[in-house]
Order: sequence, then C-alpha cells, then structure tokens
Amino acid sequence: MDAIAIEEPEVTMSWQGVVRYLHKTPRAFLPMRSFPSLELVAGRGIEGDRYFVGHETGFYSHKPEEGRQVTLFEMETLEALQRDHKIELLPEEHRRNVTVEGVPLNHLVGRRFRLGEAIVEATRLSTPCRHIEEILGKSVFDPLINRSGLNCKIIAGGTLRVGDAVRPI
Amino acid sequence: MAKAIKTVSTVVSKVEDLGNDTKRFTLVDQDDWELPPFRPGAHIDVHLGQGLVRTYSLCNDPYDDRRYVIAVKREREGRGGSNFLHDLVEVGQPISVSLPRGGIALDQEGTNVFLAGGIGVTPFISAIRHLERRGRSNYVLHWTSRGRPVLTDMIAPAIEAGRIRLYDTTAQAKPVIAAIVGEFAGSGLAACCGPAAMLKAFEDAVSAWPEERKHIEMFTPPKVIARSDVPPYELYLSASQKLATVTPDVGLLGTLDALGVEVPVSCGGGICGACRTRWTEGPPIHRDRVLSIAERQNELIVCVGDCAGQRLVLDL
Repeated sequence: MDAIAIEEPEVTMSWQGVVRYLHKTPRAFLPMRSFPSLELVAGRGIEGDRYFVGHETGFYSHKPEEGRQVTLFEMETLEALQRDHKIELLPEEHRRNVTVEGVPLNHLVGRRFRLGEAIVEATRLSTPCRHIEEILGKSVFDPLINRSGLNCKIIAGGTLRVGDAVRPI
Repeated sequence: MAKAIKTVSTVVSKVEDLGNDTKRFTLVDQDDWELPPFRPGAHIDVHLGQGLVRTYSLCNDPYDDRRYVIAVKREREGRGGSNFLHDLVEVGQPISVSLPRGGIALDQEGTNVFLAGGIGVTPFISAIRHLERRGRSNYVLHWTSRGRPVLTDMIAPAIEAGRIRLYDTTAQAKPVIAAIVGEFAGSGLAACCGPAAMLKAFEDAVSAWPEERKHIEMFTPPKVIARSDVPPYELYLSASQKLATVTPDVGLLGTLDALGVEVPVSCGGGICGACRTRWTEGPPIHRDRVLSIAERQNELIVCVGDCAGQRLVLDL
C-alpha cells in the first residue's frame, strides 16, 4: 500500500501583545533598574546590560549563550504568582529584561517575532534558578518552573519602548 | 572557562578614620547603581583577597541603597582582616562582597532593646536609622564603650532625643544586663552584640525568652547552617583523583567548589540538568526532577545530590 502523504498545515499565530516594563542591570546581583526604552543590538544584546556580548558581567557570563541577548517574562505569570501562591513578585524582581502582556512565550521557542521595531528569535525557555531566591528572599523557584520566561537572540536591533507591540512575523 | 561570578563588585568610595582605632568604609557600585537590598542589622562578607574573608555588619539605613557602610575596629592581635582593611584599603580600590545576609527582625509595636559593646553597635546603628526614618521611637540602646564612643554621628538625633544610654567603662560601671532586659520580659525584642562576656550575660538573662524575641549578633563568623540532613561521607573524584569529606554544612556542591572542580551548575535546584555527572560508587541520593530512573543508575544531578552510603565516587 502506498504511503499516505500528510501535508502539515502551516501554523499561523494570531496573538498580539505589548511591552509593559523594561529592565536592565550592568552587573551580577545588582538590582534591575526600570527604563522607558532599551537599545537592542543585533547579535549582541541590550546596551548596558550584564549580558551584552563583549562586556559580559552577569551571573551566567561564564556560560555564554546566544539566547541571553534579551530575555522576556509574562505579566500573566506575575499575576498567577499573586493569585495562586500569594507571592508578590515585582517586574524588576524576575530579572528578565522585557515584561510582556498577551504574548504566549512558552509557544514561541524556535520562532521569530517582532519586539517593537526589533526582530528576535526565541532559543529556549528560561529556567528559574535558586540564585533569584537568594537575592529576593522569596520562595519563587518552584512556582516559576515552566513559566520563567523566554531567552532570545536579536536578529534585527532597534529601540524598544514601553508600550511597543509584540507580534508574530 | 571563566569562573562563575559569586560576589558583588564594589569600589571603596570613602575611608574615614574615626579615631579609637576605628575606620569607616563606604562601598559603592562603580556606576553608582543600587546595591542588593539588605535588612536592618544585616551583614556582608568582605573578600580581601587570598582567601581572606571577613564578616561585617552594615551600619547604614537599608533605605540608603547605593552604599554599604561598614565600621572596622583594628584588632592588632586579630586574624588579619581588620589590619588589612586599616593598612591597605584605600579610596578607589575594588572590593568584592557577598550578598547581604541576616538582619534583625524588629518588633514593630513593642520595644526593641539593643545592647551593644563597643564596635558591636554597628547592626543597631542600621536598625536605629531604619526606625528613625520611619518615625518610630520604639527602641532603646544601651551602649558600653571604653573611652569615647565612635560612630555617634550616625545616630546623633537619637542620642539627643535620649533614646541611647552611653556607658564609658573607663569612668563608670558596666550596666547590669539582666536588670535592663528584665524590664521587658513580657514583650518586645532584645538584641545584643558585643564581646563574649557581654553575650554570655545576655544569653543568661534571656534564656527563658522565646527565640523570636531575642537576637544575638556574634563578632565571629556566622553560624553554620546545615544544608543537608545526611551524615558526612567521603567523596572521591576518580578522574582528578581528589578526595574530600562532604559535611552537611558545606554540602556536595560546596565540597566540589572547595576542591576547585568547576561543575556547570545553572539552576542550583535540580531542574535544568546542567550539572549531571556520572557516578560509579554510592548509592547517591537523588533529589532532582530531571533524571529518569534509568539515568539515575549512573548519573547524578550534583547541585541537589548527596550520598546514602559512606563513599561517593564521581567521574570528575
């Protein structure tokens, strides 16, 4: 019997999200500081951030990774932590750079999407680390498993501003 | 491979000689960025190089988040930390410090009774500045000093307001600690930091108090907290032929670190699998959430692992 050819339908994504907060910090352990905009540089990272390629001073700088050029986190996770675990985790505390709303981060691994005027490619889901509990004094490790954000490399750079749209390509 | 960053990088921005063999050091970020937060009365480990690490209380207000201020009394016969700071540390010098630890769980409503001996006042200066900034006066400090006390400039308004009782032991008798804390036996918090005899007197005076209402700050390194509940075991690294004993306070990862073995730890919580390592003798204790039962037969996630037997052999 002849094999039946199954044609995979092309998946199109219809979500549209928005940038709610932007943060960076120049060195490991220092608090994240909020900014109205960040400069994303293709292939390198965020100007002035601890993981900017060529000037790495972050906690994981000893393990270079393309996808650490810009990291994203869901606003909805902050709300879930409050609702389900009574933990108040602030946007400056999760230590990712971009807090977005309405963006299904866990479904974007391997995909490219627009982040304001920049284009990024998601490389992997972020993993929570005990290090964040040490810094914050909050027991967030377990509640953040599988929803600790997204690591991306920057394909096309640009200025990213709070309020910018995040959308599929 | 570069080593993991485990300390906060700071720069000495000010060194003040306060007299009475005491210097005050102000540490800041090189770009005046905020430093990791701390609680009133917290302390940091100061890394002075070549394995010299000393613990000092922060004496600024936690609200003052761009500085770490420590005061160091020279102990000429000490172990070398204070002499190093007094003789060799200058403005502009980089100094690595740990994340702040500890702190005093202040009683928000009841009275906080602080007892300090000499330079042992530092954690209470931080606490007093914190309380004063919030408009609270529910504390009293009994502070003994041999001669003129230093650091008074940091709590001058509190001294003026009569909330601090100074005892110059060259001219007057030491306070009776049992009598002071006895007044507050029913409520509030009592905290003490000072020389061994003072701490002993304090411990005796509050021995019947519940733990949450008393706080003892030591000059010596912090108490060791057990990280695991398994008895000590021998660790042998077959590839590098290194041998060590893993104790509960140091743990497996801490022992590997002490042996100078770089393990690619990432999450530190047993979920990412970055530090999976082959084992050949055990049996290990598995506390991870990534390895299958089959994988556990010869692999271990070392960031959360331990040994159920007397000897663990890892292929490192």
